[in-house]
Amino acid sequence: MLELVDLSKKFKHMYAVKNLNMFIEKGEIIGLLGPNGAGKSTAISMLSSLIEPTEGDVRFHNKSIIKNPAPLRKIIGVVPQEIALYEDLTAEENLQFFGKIYRLKGQLLKRKVDEVLEQIGLTDRRRDIVKTFSGGMKRRLNIGVAMLHEPELIIMDEPTVGIDPQSRNYILETVKRLNQEKQMTVLYTSHYMEEVEYLCDRIYIMDKGNMIASGTKDEIKRILSAEKTILIQAELLNDTFINFLHENPTINRVIKEEKEITIMVPKEINIFPILVKMAEDAKIELNSVDIKIPTLEDVFLHLTGRALRD
Amino acid sequence: MVGQIIKKQLLLLLRSRVQLLLLIGLPIILIAILGTALSSFMEGGTVEIDLKIALIEEEDEQEQIDRFIRDADEKGLPAEAVAEIRSSVAQITPIQTLKESVFGNESMEDIIKLKLANADEIEKLLEDGSYSTIIEVPKNFTYDMLHFLIFAEDVHPSLKVYQNEAALGASIVQEMLEQYQEQFTIGSFVSEKGMELQVAEIGEQQFGEIISINQEKPTSARDYYAIGMAVMNVLFIASTIGTIAFQEKKNHVFNRIILANVSRWIYFIGIFLSGTIIGFLHLLIIFGFSRIFYGVTWPDLLAFFAVTLAFAVAVGGVAVLLTAICYRINSEMITNFFSSIVVTIFATLGGSFFAIGKLSSFVQLLGDLTPNGAAMSAYLGIIRGEGLADISNHLLFLIIFAVVLIVAAAFSFPKRGSAA
Ligand SMILES: Nc1ncnc2c1ncn2[C@@H]1O[C@H](COP(=O)(O)OP(=O)(O)OP(=O)(O)O)[C@@H](O)[C@H]1O
Ligand SMILES: [Mg+2]
Repeated sequence: MLELVDLSKKFKHMYAVKNLNMFIEKGEIIGLLGPNGAGKSTAISMLSSLIEPTEGDVRFHNKSIIKNPAPLRKIIGVVPQEIALYEDLTAEENLQFFGKIYRLKGQLLKRKVDEVLEQIGLTDRRRDIVKTFSGGMKRRLNIGVAMLHEPELIIMDEPTVGIDPQSRNYILETVKRLNQEKQMTVLYTSHYMEEVEYLCDRIYIMDKGNMIASGTKDEIKRILSAEKTILIQAELLNDTFINFLHENPTINRVIKEEKEITIMVPKEINIFPILVKMAEDAKIELNSVDIKIPTLEDVFLHLTGRALRD
Repeated sequence: MVGQIIKKQLLLLLRSRVQLLLLIGLPIILIAILGTALSSFMEGGTVEIDLKIALIEEEDEQEQIDRFIRDADEKGLPAEAVAEIRSSVAQITPIQTLKESVFGNESMEDIIKLKLANADEIEKLLEDGSYSTIIEVPKNFTYDMLHFLIFAEDVHPSLKVYQNEAALGASIVQEMLEQYQEQFTIGSFVSEKGMELQVAEIGEQQFGEIISINQEKPTSARDYYAIGMAVMNVLFIASTIGTIAFQEKKNHVFNRIILANVSRWIYFIGIFLSGTIIGFLHLLIIFGFSRIFYGVTWPDLLAFFAVTLAFAVAVGGVAVLLTAICYRINSEMITNFFSSIVVTIFATLGGSFFAIGKLSSFVQLLGDLTPNGAAMSAYLGIIRGEGLADISNHLLFLIIFAVVLIVAAAFSFPKRGSAA
C-alpha cells in the first residue's frame, strides 16, 4: 500500500536518509529500528508527506504523494516523536480540536473523544490542563490524538519513551488489538527491542541514513546463525584482559560496557577455556560467562559494532 | 475549518491570564494615569480661561415688547386673554436673559467678560481677534420670538454667532448658547397658555441659527489618551497572535494540522482573522471601559465602528505577517523585535504619548503612515465632530496597509512545513 523508492533527504551537506527502500502492506505491523540520528524520524516525515524528499519517491497505492499528498493524509495518523499538543488546553479540548480538524463532529466526535480517553487511560484527567500532566500522560495523549479518526495506517515515532511499564504494555496491547480487530496498519519506531519483537511482523534496521537490514523477525535473527553472543561479567575489568580479547583472531567483536563485555565468536569455537586462561594471565576474576539467546540488539551489534542504545 | 482555528486561537489567548491582564489592564491604567496627570497641560488650565464675549443689539428689547403688546391688543381677543398675554410677556425677555442669566451668571462672573456693543462696531470686533464669540442680535429678534412663541406664527428668530477659532473656550460659549436655546424653547411660560402641543413642535423646530467659524471641540486628555493607549496596545495583539502561532510550530501541532489535510492557507486565513477579531474585541473593550469610567463618548458611532474595523483588519494583517516571518526564519525574534521596538516607534510617531504631529506636518504625515497613527487621527477626528467623509483617507490607508501586509505575508509563508 505504501512504498518508499530510493528515498533520500539531504540537510545542508549531509544526507540524513540515503537511498531508502521500504514497503508497507495493509494490515502489517512494521518495525523501524536504529540508533539516534539514524534518520528514522526524517524517513517518517517524508513518508507521511510532512517534508519533501531531496530524491526518490513515496508511492501510495502506486501513486506518488509528493505533489498530491491528500489521499495519504486522509488515512494516516502520525504520533510524532515530540509531544505535539496544546499545553494550555485540557486533554479533552486537545482531542476535540484535533478531532474537528479531522472533520469529526457532533455525537461521533463526542463518542470518539470518550473512547480514546478510555483507551489511553486519561478519562478522569480529561478536564485537566495538559501542562499539569506527567511526561507519561502527555505521551499517552500524544498517541491518543493520532487515533481519533481511526486511521488505516498509524505511524508511531518512539511513542513509548518515558512511559511506565504498565501503561506501555497497555499501549502495546491496544496497538496490537487495533491491528487485529480493525486491520490497522502500523509503522512502529522504537529503541526498545522487546517492543519491536513483541509487535512487529517485519523489521527494518537503519543506521547513519542507510538501511542496513530488513526482513521478518526470524530472517533477521538468522543473520546471527553463524555466531554466538557471549556475555562476560567480571570484577575489576582491566585493559590487559580487553587487549587479549581484541588480539584473539577467533573473536569477531568486543563491546565493553561498565562491568560486562559482550563478544561474538563463530558457532563452532569453544571459547570457554581460552577465556579462563586470559583471565588468569590478566589477573582478574570472572564472575560469569553466559551464552545469550540472540536478540535484535545482538543483530544490531553484529551489523554495526555498536549498541543500539548508546 | 477556519472557524476552528480562530476558536482555538481565542481559547489559547484566554488561557494565558498574564498576557490578557497586560493587554487589557495596562492600557486602562495608563489612560487613567496619563489622562489625569496631563489633563491641565492638555486643556491649558481650565481656571485661567478668560472668555471675552461681545453682544451686539440692533434694537432695544423693551421697544420690541411694547410693539408686540400693541399687536396683541389689535387682534381683538377677549380682554382676559389679552391680560394674560401681557403678564406672561413680561417674563419673555430673551436678550435680557442672555445678558444677565447666561453670561452674567454668578459662577461665570470671573471667567466671562461681556461687552455690549453697537451694530456699527461689528467689523472692528471681528478684526480684534481677542473675542472668543461675537453674538449679533438682529432687528426684531424679541418681537419675532414673541410672535413665534405666543401666536405660533411661522417666523424664525435667529441669533448670529461668530466663533473665533484661535481664542480659547469658544466651545464653552457654544455649549452655553445651546443650553440657552433649549431652555428658551421649552420654557414653562409657554405651557401655562395651554399650548403644550405647539411647544413640542417648537422644541423641534430650529430656533436660532448658529454659525460657527470653527466647529472644532478641544479634545480632553482622557479622550486623547484613551485613543492613544488603545491604538498602541492593540498592536500587541498582533505580536501575541504571532507568538501563539509560532508556538504551534515549535510544539509541532502545526505539523498535526497539516497532516490532517488542512491547507496551510486555511491556517493562514485563520491567523489573519484571529488577529482581526481579537483586535476588534480588544478595541471595543478598551473603548467600552473608557466610555463607562472615563466618559469618552463618540458623537458618530458609525464612523467609530468603521475606524475600529479598518484598524482591526490592519492588526490582523500585522499578525499574519509576523506569523509568516516567524515560520519562514524559524524564530520568534521578529515578534520580539516588533513588540519591543516597532511598537514603541509606531506609538511615538502615531502620537500615543503626546501630540507629536504638532511638531511639523512631516512628522504628522509619518505618524499617519503608521496604522496606529492613522487610526488615532481618525478617532480624534470623530471626537472633534468629523464624519466618515472627513476621515476616509485614514480608513483607506488602513485598508491598503492591511492588503499590502497580507500579500507580503502570503509570499513569505513557507510552502511546506518542516519536521524539524
Ligand atoms: N531539520 C534538520 N536540519 C538539519 N539536520 C537535520 C534536520 N532534521 C534531522 N537532521 C539530521 O538528520 C539526521 C537524522 O535525524 P533523525 O531525527 O531522522 O534521526 P532519528 O533516527 O529519528 O534519531 P532519534 O532516534 O534520535 O530520534 C541527524 O543527524 C540530524 O541531525
Ligand atoms: Mg527520531
